[in-house]
Amino acid sequence: MDFKPYGRGAFGQLTKAHAGKPLIVHYWSVTCPPCLVELPQWAKIAAEKKGFDIVFVNTDGDDERARAQARIEKVGLSRAEHYGFADAFVEKLYFEADSAWRGELPFTALVAPDGGVVTVTGAVDDPLIVEWLEKRVRK
Amino acid sequence: MMRLVLALLALAASGAASAQQGAPSADAPKDAATPTQSATHAGMGHPAAACAEAKVDCAATAVPAFAKDGRLWVAFSVGKSVYAAASSDNGATFSAPTAIATVGDGVIDAHGDARPKIVALKDGTLLATYTTRPDKQMIGTIFTARSTDGGKTFSAPQALLNEGGQRFDSIVVNRKGRIYAGWLDKTHALKAKAEGKEFLGSGVAFAYSDDGGKTFKGKSILIDHACECCRMSGALDKDGTPVFAWRQVLDGNVRDHMVAKLSADAARATATRVSDDDWAINSCPHHGPSIAIDAAGDWHVVWFTKGKKRQGLYYARSLDAGKSFSEPEKFGDDARAAGHPTLVAAKGRLYRVWKEFDGTTTTVAMQMSRDNGKSWTAPRVVAQTLDASDHPELIAHNGAAYLSWLTHKEGYRLMPLPRDEKSAAAPQ
Repeated sequence: MDFKPYGRGAFGQLTKAHAGKPLIVHYWSVTCPPCLVELPQWAKIAAEKKGFDIVFVNTDGDDERARAQARIEKVGLSRAEHYGFADAFVEKLYFEADSAWRGELPFTALVAPDGGVVTVTGAVDDPLIVEWLEKRVRK
Repeated sequence: MMRLVLALLALAASGAASAQQGAPSADAPKDAATPTQSATHAGMGHPAAACAEAKVDCAATAVPAFAKDGRLWVAFSVGKSVYAAASSDNGATFSAPTAIATVGDGVIDAHGDARPKIVALKDGTLLATYTTRPDKQMIGTIFTARSTDGGKTFSAPQALLNEGGQRFDSIVVNRKGRIYAGWLDKTHALKAKAEGKEFLGSGVAFAYSDDGGKTFKGKSILIDHACECCRMSGALDKDGTPVFAWRQVLDGNVRDHMVAKLSADAARATATRVSDDDWAINSCPHHGPSIAIDAAGDWHVVWFTKGKKRQGLYYARSLDAGKSFSEPEKFGDDARAAGHPTLVAAKGRLYRVWKEFDGTTTTVAMQMSRDNGKSWTAPRVVAQTLDASDHPELIAHNGAAYLSWLTHKEGYRLMPLPRDEKSAAAPQ
């Protein structure tokens, strides 16, 4: 598996590349225990998803990437699309996804087909994420 | 897909049982990140580190301390090595750094709230602390190393503890030279996991040293359920005992702030809640508080929250040694993602600084108070950068306060903060 570099402009490039289709961008780190606890649930969402795309972004540095990869393999997420933070200017990377994001994790951007973004700080069972997934089902 | 949503809800309901899934196993080897006394490093740094040389400008974090002789020491890491370097001109130039340790396996905690630190003792001894984590586990080990020859060499690093898991140390030294250490400790969490029990967060642990950091006594976890990914902060109270502040995981996964005053023998801690922000969230804010205590003995705390009751940066003070805190006062510009606040007391003045980002420029803003935090000068920009940067640090020395800030473009900077309201309020 491979972590594609996630640098300045990456969020815009991702939403552009997935335009026309709903997209989830999920940010996580090996230094975030709640992220690791819920990673299997994200693996399940990625495996069963229909009608939307999902991208995972590991916010750790290069020195943590082996550990991140081991986690991904453990939960069976190797075949998903993965990015890794490749720029120490993290404020910029946060800002591009959500100008109010200070780096708290887990963090998820729910992107509509027209590019509209709703962000969620916190766990996968957040009502906004659950509703978003339900809405995709109705469609 | 509905099945998936339902499965998610079911998983959420059973979250208690799975809450420790991500925690490392209790029997993980602790010697995986044993440091060696080598000056070489593997060159694997944080992404887009400024450079890979053994100098502070190439680091991601820098923590300052003024030594008795007036030199400024900075602890930092590059790649897999921890260093200390001294400056005789307040950070403009640094002498060749002294290597404190290199880890063969694992990583050095030097990212965001986690960072190698250094304190200077009255007798000239330097005490450095840093945390390593082995490659395969999220278990930290805090190491200490001392220099008694003015930073020319450091002793072989010693693990503060050899089992459990420790991160986010905070060192406070009193006027008699007793060194207090506070840290977040996973030992109880690992034990609970091994027993199949739920345990949220880390313990808050303390110890003290009367021999200049050679040995620490009374190591014990006095409080449980601290948020495990935010820094602790410590300050010295008027009576010579320390007070620590951290983010706690309260009932309902509420991640609000606590402070605790430690007894002189570090055996008891009296904890109180700083503020009821009601930030109920199963997440890692990676955003710890800061505490300062002024000469009058008033406690001052700054923090970040996204609670139901308030969101952004807040300040509160306690005039009764933590029994009660003032109504939280908001500061910083939410529209610019104000974050990472810290404060320091210096000779009748109190300073608070924090970071803001407008999409292009990162700013460190500052306010000063001359009335123990009742009123503050208008926010003033004291430093800016257009690229990556460390959290701002504040340090007081000889009655003056300084901003210590490491940025990718400008390198390390130590900037004196204004002493009077007029210059504090003046536009840049």
